[in-house]
Formats: sequence, C-alpha cells, structure tokens
Amino acid sequence: MKTRVIRRGMLVAIMVAGIFPGCAPKAQSSPRRIEVTARRFEFAPAEITLKKGQPVVLELKSTDAAHGLRFRELNVNVKVGAGGTTEVQFTPDKTGDFIGHCSVFCGSGHGTMALTLHVVD
Amino acid sequence: MRRLPLLATAIISLGMTACKADSPGKLETRTMTFAKHTVFIRNKSQANPLPSNATTWADGKEAFSHYCVACHGLDGQNTGVPFADHISPPIPLLTSKDVQGYSDGQLKWILDNGISPSGMPGSKGTLSDDELWSIIVYLRHLPPAGSQGTPEMYNP
Repeated sequence: MKTRVIRRGMLVAIMVAGIFPGCAPKAQSSPRRIEVTARRFEFAPAEITLKKGQPVVLELKSTDAAHGLRFRELNVNVKVGAGGTTEVQFTPDKTGDFIGHCSVFCGSGHGTMALTLHVVD
Repeated sequence: MRRLPLLATAIISLGMTACKADSPGKLETRTMTFAKHTVFIRNKSQANPLPSNATTWADGKEAFSHYCVACHGLDGQNTGVPFADHISPPIPLLTSKDVQGYSDGQLKWILDNGISPSGMPGSKGTLSDDELWSIIVYLRHLPPAGSQGTPEMYNP
C-alpha cells in the first residue's frame, strides 16, 4: 500500500515537472566581466557588444585622471578616481546602440570621450 | 619731400583718434540682435532630445559648473565674475530676453560653435552632446541671481 502511494507520488511529480519545465531550478549564469580602461580622452575598448538580458560587470580602470562612464538610456553611471578601479553591474534590457560618455570633467577633450555599447538579442 | 612722412603720420594719428569705440547705439544693437536671431545663429528647429526634469537640470548644472562658470558665474548671471562688466561686449545675463529668445536648437548651436566676435567660445569636444543639451535645460530654469555664490576659482 505504502509503496503504491510513493509510486503514484513520483509519477505525479514527473508529470508536473514535464508540464512546467521552466519551474525547475536553474544554475544562475555568472555575469560577463569586461575590463575598460579610461584615459584622457578615450576608452579602451571603444566598442563592446552585449546580449540583451545577460548580466555584465564593467570594470572601469583609470590610468590618469578621474573619469566616469555614463549610459543615460541604460541608467548606468560609474565614476572612478585618478588611477583607481571600480566596477558596475547591470543587465541591458533593450537592444540598440548606446553611447556612453565620460561623466567626470577631465579636460579639453572630455566631450569626445565615448564608448559604444551594441546590445543585441 | 621730407614733409610727406610727417603729413602721413599726422593723418593716420588723426584717423586713429577718430576710431575711438563707443557703446553701440539702440539701432545698432537691435539690428545685430535681429541678425543673430534670424541669420547668423542656425539650427533653430532642432529640439532638445533630453527631458526637462530635475535630473537633467542637475546634470546641466554640474556640466555648467565645469566650463561655463568662469565667465557666466554659477547662476548664469555673472555673479562673482570679476571681469564681467569690463570687457566689450559685456557678458550677457543668461536670463536676458536676448539669450532666452533663442530656441533650444540655436542655444545648442551657440554652445557648439561659439559666437566668435563676442568672445563666447565653442564647446564641441570639450563637453559631450549629452552635457550640452542638459546645460540648455539648466539655462531655461536658472536659479535666482546670487543664490549660488561666487565660483570657487574667484574666492580668495
């Protein structure tokens, strides 16, 4: 009797798992790490391609003055002190090309300092 | 024959004396203002792509404080700028009808390219487009004159 109940229970569990496969626990994918170097008046790399929905950690490293990196449309803004390193994690939630600018005034070419993110499906 | 250089010097000196610059008259000012607003300053139809809200205003204020502050003060009304009244043409109040009469697109054009005879420099490359548009939001809602104090660079 007890064995029958256990077998039925296992059968029900297998059927439920088959109907709702998305409910099964998944391993959390670790964010992609990308190192970005900031120096007067450029970011390296100057272009990065990301996948929509994939978490990413941008590690911003300054080799001279204080800098920042801001993507207004993605609500991302990170600032780094002179010679320092900092990071920001985010998940792009829309596709397109997004241009980030240095968000800490760093001199005469500050306005040209840009990094383009290509976010694709 | 020896008198010719002397005569020429006298004529040039007289001519230079007559060249003393006076402040422009009303007609001259109105003509120049009209010409700037309708002919020289372009990009009238471009709209500001940034929303006019508190965040953009704060961004504009910050960007303004890095570059524009040296001549226009923190409030855009020359507060604490020691030379504001001593140069010609004088630095305008950014709350003035002349400045506020430009469209957002024209203000962007001025920020990009400057107005060369006036001493207003272009900022293209020095500030990003994003910062320049946010400055225009700040310009449309400047704080009261004197409320921001004197720029740090002019404090003793």
